[in-house]
This record gives sequence, C-alpha cells and structure tokens, in this order.
Amino acid sequence: MTGCKVTSRVRQVNENQCHMCMPLGGVIALRGVEHSVALVHGSQGCSTYMRLANVEHFNEPIDIASSSLNEKQAIFGGEANLRIALDNVIRVYRPKVIGILTSCLAETMGDDVERFVETYRTDREIGEIEIISVSTPSYGGTHTEGFWATTRAVIAHYARPAERHGGINVIVPNISPADIREIKRLLDLMGLEYTLLPDYSLTLDRPFGGRYQKIAPGGTPTAAIARMSGARATIQFGLTCPDTLSPGLFLEERFGVPLINLPLPIGLDGTDLFVGTLKDLSGQPVPDSLMLERGWLCDAMADTHKINAAARPVIYGEPELVYALAKLCLENGSVPAVIAGGTRNSGLAALLQPLLKDALEEPIVLEEADFVTIEDAAVRTSANLAVGHSGGKYLTERQGIPGLRVGYPIHDRVGGQRILSVGYAGTLALLDRFTNTLLEAKYSSYRRQRKEELLNEKGVSDAKA
Amino acid sequence: MTMTDVNVDELLAPMPDKVKKNRRKHIVKKDLSAGSCQQIEANTRTVPGIITQRGCCYAGCKGVVVGPIKDMLTITHGPIGCAYYSWGTRRNKARVDDRTPPEEIYTTMCFSTDMQESDIVFGGEKKLAKMIDEVVEIFHPRAINLCATCPIGLIGDDLGAVAKAAEKRHGIPVIHYNCEGYKGVSQSAGHHIANNQIMERIIGTGTEKVDGKYVLNILGEYNIGGDAWENERLLEEIGYTIGSTLTGDSAYVNIRNMHKAHLNLVQCHRSINYIAEMMETKYGTPWLKVNFIGIDATIDTLREIARCFGDEELIARTELVIERELAAVTPEIERYQKILKGRTAFVFVGGSRSHHYQFLLRNLGMEVMVAGYEFAHRDDYEGREVIPTIKSDADSKNIPELHLEPEPGIYRPPHLHLKMSKEKYDELVASGVLNDYKGMYPDMVNGGIMIDDANHFETEELVEIFKPDLIFTGIKDKYVTHKMGLPSKQMHSYDYSGPYTCFKGAVTFAKDVAHSLSTPAWKMITAPWEQSKTEQR
Repeated sequence: MTGCKVTSRVRQVNENQCHMCMPLGGVIALRGVEHSVALVHGSQGCSTYMRLANVEHFNEPIDIASSSLNEKQAIFGGEANLRIALDNVIRVYRPKVIGILTSCLAETMGDDVERFVETYRTDREIGEIEIISVSTPSYGGTHTEGFWATTRAVIAHYARPAERHGGINVIVPNISPADIREIKRLLDLMGLEYTLLPDYSLTLDRPFGGRYQKIAPGGTPTAAIARMSGARATIQFGLTCPDTLSPGLFLEERFGVPLINLPLPIGLDGTDLFVGTLKDLSGQPVPDSLMLERGWLCDAMADTHKINAAARPVIYGEPELVYALAKLCLENGSVPAVIAGGTRNSGLAALLQPLLKDALEEPIVLEEADFVTIEDAAVRTSANLAVGHSGGKYLTERQGIPGLRVGYPIHDRVGGQRILSVGYAGTLALLDRFTNTLLEAKYSSYRRQRKEELLNEKGVSDAKA
Repeated sequence: MTMTDVNVDELLAPMPDKVKKNRRKHIVKKDLSAGSCQQIEANTRTVPGIITQRGCCYAGCKGVVVGPIKDMLTITHGPIGCAYYSWGTRRNKARVDDRTPPEEIYTTMCFSTDMQESDIVFGGEKKLAKMIDEVVEIFHPRAINLCATCPIGLIGDDLGAVAKAAEKRHGIPVIHYNCEGYKGVSQSAGHHIANNQIMERIIGTGTEKVDGKYVLNILGEYNIGGDAWENERLLEEIGYTIGSTLTGDSAYVNIRNMHKAHLNLVQCHRSINYIAEMMETKYGTPWLKVNFIGIDATIDTLREIARCFGDEELIARTELVIERELAAVTPEIERYQKILKGRTAFVFVGGSRSHHYQFLLRNLGMEVMVAGYEFAHRDDYEGREVIPTIKSDADSKNIPELHLEPEPGIYRPPHLHLKMSKEKYDELVASGVLNDYKGMYPDMVNGGIMIDDANHFETEELVEIFKPDLIFTGIKDKYVTHKMGLPSKQMHSYDYSGPYTCFKGAVTFAKDVAHSLSTPAWKMITAPWEQSKTEQR
C-alpha cells in the first residue's frame, strides 16, 4: 500500500466535536507547577465549565479563579476586575504562582493582559508571587495547543541563562498523572537527575489523607523550572507539537539546551527510544528489573498478537497520544482503520506516513475531525474497536463498536487520572485491556455470528429467528 | 459549636475588608425570634477571584433551558469550548413519544460553528448561515435554536438577521438567543433570555387541540434522571393530562400548544417564573408553585392541584393515589430512616431545589443546616412579596423585559381556566396558594444559614464549623468535600441515579444517601497504626 488517505474538514458544521478549548489545556499544565493557581480572564462561565470538565475527568478538586467579566467590562475593558481577582486569589489562596489564561472574551475585547500584570506588579507589593499570563483564546487552537502554549510560557517566564548542570529536562504532553509517575519511575531507575514539567502527578491525583489544603501539594518546583535553561538536554514527548509552541525548542534556541523530541513511550519501539536515550544520557546499563518488564511485554505481544491482528481500531484524540497508540497497534499487527484528531497543525498525517507505508490495509487519517466524520469513516472501514476518550461513546452506542477508554477527557468511566499506558509495564496494562475488549466482544457474539453464517451457507437463513 | 453561635465575620476573616463587607450581605441566619426574613443580597455581581460556583448567561440559556428541548436542533455560535462544555452534562433525559420519532431527537448531539481566528476578525455570520443550511439538509429539524457565546456580541454578528434570513430560506422557525456569557451576573440572565424567546416565538403558535379535562404544564422541570416521568406517571393516574414540561423531555411541537393548558405548575421557580407570569398576563393561565421532592411535599402538592380545580372526583382520586403510593414506600423509608435519622446536611443546588430537598431530607430524619443557591434572586430566598422592593441594577436592566398584553380572542380570565367562580378563585389567590411563592426562608431550621453565591472558601469554612454528615452539591465542589472526609452527593446530575421525585423517587434518594453514609470505607481512612495519633489530635 502506498500510505494513507488524509481528509481534512470540509463541512461548516462541527457535529459532536473531538476537541476542546485552549484554556482548558492551560489549566492542566498549570496544575503541574508547584503552589500555583489558574485564573481565567473572562466571564465566569469559562472557569466554571473548565472546572466541571476537569473535575469529571480527574475526580479531584479543581479551583480555577475567574475575573468574572460582565457586560460593563466587556465594553470598557477588564483591567479593574483582573486586579480585584488577583488581590482575592492572593489573599485567600496564598499561591506562589498565578497563571492567567485568557478567554475568547478577553482576547476579542483586546485586553492587554501583559501590561495589566506589569502595572499590577508595580502598584502592589506582592513580593515573591509570580504572575504568568498566557494567550489562550478558544478560537486560537484546541486544548492541546493550550497545554503546550502554557508549558512554554511557564518555562519562558523563569528562563534566565543558568549555570550548566548535569540534569536533564523532561517535558510531557497532556497525559495521565499515572503516566507521569511511571515516566518518573523510569527516570529514577536509570539514575538520572531531572526536572519534569508539568508534573501534575500528585496535584491532579491527590491521595486521601491529612488536612485538606486549598492548593494541592506537588507540582514542579519553580526553582527547578528556573534551572531548566542550564540542563544537559531536553527530552520532550512532542513530535506533534507545533514549533511555535514547543517548550523544548524554546530552550534549545534560547539557551542551547539540545532538544531530543521523542514519541510518547508507549509500545516497544516508543519505550525503547526513551529508555535508549536515558541509557545514552546516563551512561548506565539498563537495569535487569526493567529488562524483565520489557520481556513481559514481548511475551504478552507474542501471546496475543493473533487476537490483536483481528482488530481494526479507530484511534482518536490528541495527536501525540494518537500517534503513539497507532504505533503500538501496528507493532501488534492491528492495522488502524481510522486515525483521527480534532486539532490541525499537528503534522500528524505526515508523521504517520512512514509508519503506514508497509501496512496491509490503508487507514483513513482525519485531521480537524468531528465525531460524525469519525463515525462515518469507522463504519465505512468496518472498524471493530474504538480507542480514545469518552467523546467517542457514540461509536459504541450507535454503531456497536466496543470502546477502550484512554486519553483525555474521560467522563463516562472512573479513573481517567489512573489510566497507565507508558513504559513497558504501562503498555502491557493497556495492551491487555485492548485484547480483552476484543475478546469480550467476540465471546458475546461469535456463537450467534457463526450460526448465522452457517445457516446462510445452507440457504436457510429464514430459520434465523 | 451550636448553630446559633456561628460568627459570620470569623468565617470571612481571611478575606479583604471590601470583600468581607460584600459577602456578609449574602449570608443570612434564620432567626425565629426576628419574625420576618432579614434581607439577603442576591443576583448581584460576583467578587472576581473568589472562585464562585456560578456559571454564565450562555450556561443558563443553552445549558439549562433551551438545550433539553428534544426536537429542536441547537447550534452554539462561537469558538469550540462553550458547545463542548454544555454537551449533555445535565442528564436531561428525553425519549421518543407518539409525536417525536427518534430521528427528531437532537439532545445528545452537539453542534458548534467552531469559530476560528479569521471568523472573529471577519465575522461569523456567513459561516453560521452556511451551517444552518447544512444541518437543515442533513437533519430536516422542526426548528432550530441559535445560541450566542461571548465573542458574538463583541464582533457584532447579527444573530437575529441570520435567523430571519434562514427562516425565509427553509420555512422553519430559527430562534436566536443573545445569551453572550458576560451578560447579567450568572446563569440567571440566560434563563430570562431563554424564557423571553420561548414565550415570544414558541408558546401560542400551536393550533392543535389538546385533549383532556384538566391539562397541566410543568414548568421548571428538567427531567434530571427521569424526574419528570415520575411526576407525569402520578398526575396522569389521578386524571390530569400533561400538556408540556419546560423543558425536560419537552418538544417544540408540544410547547407550541402550552397556552391551551388549564394550569401551570412551577417546579423550579428561578429559571422559569418569567414564563409563568407572562402566560398569566397573556393567556390568563394561573400558576401554582409545586414541589415533588419529598413525600409530604408531594402529598401537599397533589392536594393543592386538586383543590385548584375543586372537582370532588379528582380530590377523591388524589387521596386514593396518595394512599396507595404511601403504602408502597413507607416500609422502605422507615428502613432508611434508621440509618439517616439525626444526620445533618448542606444543600447547594438549583433555583428551588435547595429549598425542595429540605422537605425530603426531613422525611428521612435529616436536617439541613446550610442551604444556598448560585444564581437565585431575593424572592427565591425571601418570597415573592419582596419583588416590588428589589432595586433593578445595571446588570438586570440589560436583560430585556417583555411587556405583554392579554391576547385578544385567546385570553380567558384565570378562574375560567380552573372552571370555578371568580369569588372562589380570588379566595384561592388570597390564601396564598396560587400565583405565589414564599421562598426558602420559612422552611429553614432555626439557626440555619442561607448563603447566596457561596464560594469554595466559604463552603470549606462552613464544613469546618458545622461538620455536616453529607453535602448535596454540584460536581465542582464534590471532591473538595470528599478530600475533607465527607461524603457528597452530586445533585446537578444525581450521580447517574434518579428519579428522586414523588414517592418512589424518595426511596431511590434515601437509598443513595444511606449508601453514602453507611459505606465502611469512610471509617477506614486512617490506617490502624495511625488510629491512636488521630484520637490525640
């Protein structure tokens, strides 16, 4: 086969969307900065809605402040409200960092938030409190871009020329807190000193216990963020991150920190690339315990590849995860039927080309897709497994395609924050769920299917009833 | 600490003085010795930055009122976020019926113009018009709603003009709502805008005959978890016909004929009282504030409805149904009372529900110590008698008021709707049954707190003070209370449960609450080897 067919959106209507708004991703990224609070500059519905969407996924308290713009401010500008909001957030929450994310409203009004913040800083004695503003209008991109833009803005805010040190930077895309913990475990196993940003592994998955704190403990310490410019190298899981938003590229171009852009460590090849890089950077051999994990994954793949080869998955969601999942599927002989993302400018289709050139079937690749387009493609290609977030529930409800939940957001199952899919162990956990979902569908229907087939052959199909 | 000892100033201590002054006015303690309710400040601007639970105008219009109308295709005009966030989050259930086939139901779908930067710069009217053409071609809906988001008002897209042109092209109603998120001070503005358009554009346009001796509409019933179906089941058994609900499981084709009903029942006062009042003016339809949450409350409500028609047979049938339902649920309720008796709770939900659930909880032996609303007005707390004294501010003036006149040829005086004499009707009104609502205050426990637009901080402080056993609230603060070791029940969507209305609903609710309070895990939070340390603390 010659590769894939790429379809971009042609319709005006977005029916059942596959992407969300830019500040939503920003809110998550900010949770990865120690002692920080996010403040959305806009009408209060924005922050309320974003809390809702995140609370339902993470099952955690999500405090997002709002400048509560009303009609008057929409006309005369939102500076006064933003200042009051900053005063109150500082007073009640006592954060060390406040991240201001702009809404469509603030951007359309043309509020100059950078200047507002500058004036605020000179007027108020707020000492050590840092205020970082990020431009995140919903019409400017999706939650994926919002996540990257915010991570980059946080780095840019702290970055000064720093003394070179032996540590490395690790920049992650929007993955689950459980995935972040697993990546940190691998880094620790390989004996590397590192700064991982944004680290919301604790803040968005708080263990129970102790007195409730308004700002969740955890997050990347700001002192560590400030040292990122002096690191030996940056590992960024951001193949689909546009250059203009790339935090790793920023550190490379400004401070000469070499950028190693890797796919998410999902699957054998993906994890090998990561572990191999860590081996090179640390000069340490890969520990036996990790080789055991690799062995278990290989063993599982050997045992299940025949079942998995029958899968024609439809993979959808954020581009970075979609790319890694497509790679994993291909490693197992499951040729994706549909690969789809809601964003544009991720370069997903071009990235997929080399992977798909030897595939036995030709997948449909969709960018800027909504779920109606995805559903249509899934039906045309006889997809039999839906891999992605809860937005794809209609693939199951309407088309009977069994679903495997992974990614963000997951609103119709519990444990979105705990889904583990990176590393050898994480891949294995995901892969078993993948295989078992296929088996469950098979066991629930194959007797009936076989019966129907056999009866048809004999020409007595009317005996079906 | 006993309830009467709560010091509001201490509660607000960490806040800046200006905020403290503002917030103090939103908190009222029930004091039986004081006679009437102290004035509460409500429906005023939220203090920026204090992390309110409030939503926006769009949320009130599209998310609450307009979204659940099952056979109308609702388009959100704006960038992608708003449409996503209001996609099926409230569990307003809708089903196929003899007038609405499955292919005419759009409530599980989400339509957005997904505006990009160029649309913001050059305007989005063309895109919207093209999108309307597309959805008409694909779905052939009976009617379309267009809901505006924040940028629309600023860039000056004329939704009304787009709607009008589209109506001409396609010959179906295209109704627009200028519900930009920044309008008003909360969801409340959106309710009002939606009420106005539904009143102007839909109600009264139907010409079909509505059969039934006693036809009722149920306003402000959103059918969360099937609530409306449980109400309907009982009412139909007694002998009523349901014209339409607003807007849970409602259909455009039924809303059109709402003016044919004899009586409007109002469940959620805040979100829908505008239509009740406007229908009273325009068609003479009287309205009755009802409450189907709680067993005694349901009994009172059913008796009051029957009383409104004064039909002996109806009254007898009502008693029969009450007796039968009560017999069926009483043993169950008694079983749960054993677990729930003496427990305390907070309730923060809805535009009447923080009031309504106090009845149900009392049936279960529980007491509500703190109750509040995100977006209520003073009359929801203090009763409608304060309406003439509410000062209109700049934010509410921006929401248009419809000034309606009795509709010639259709208007009938209210007593004729109820088939009773004018004298008897006036008597009913004077006794406070019809066209009135007394608010939450009279039913609060002495020493209890009413709090308007409670923020995250205050909720946490109140939990520390009162140490309730359970909190009934939305999902935004649900996990905060969990982290404080306190179970919470999501009342915006019922945590995937329901219905909670009437008799059977009360049992479902009692069961859910009992589960929360009796789950052993809550008692196992501290590890055995840490137990002694905790006791010392």
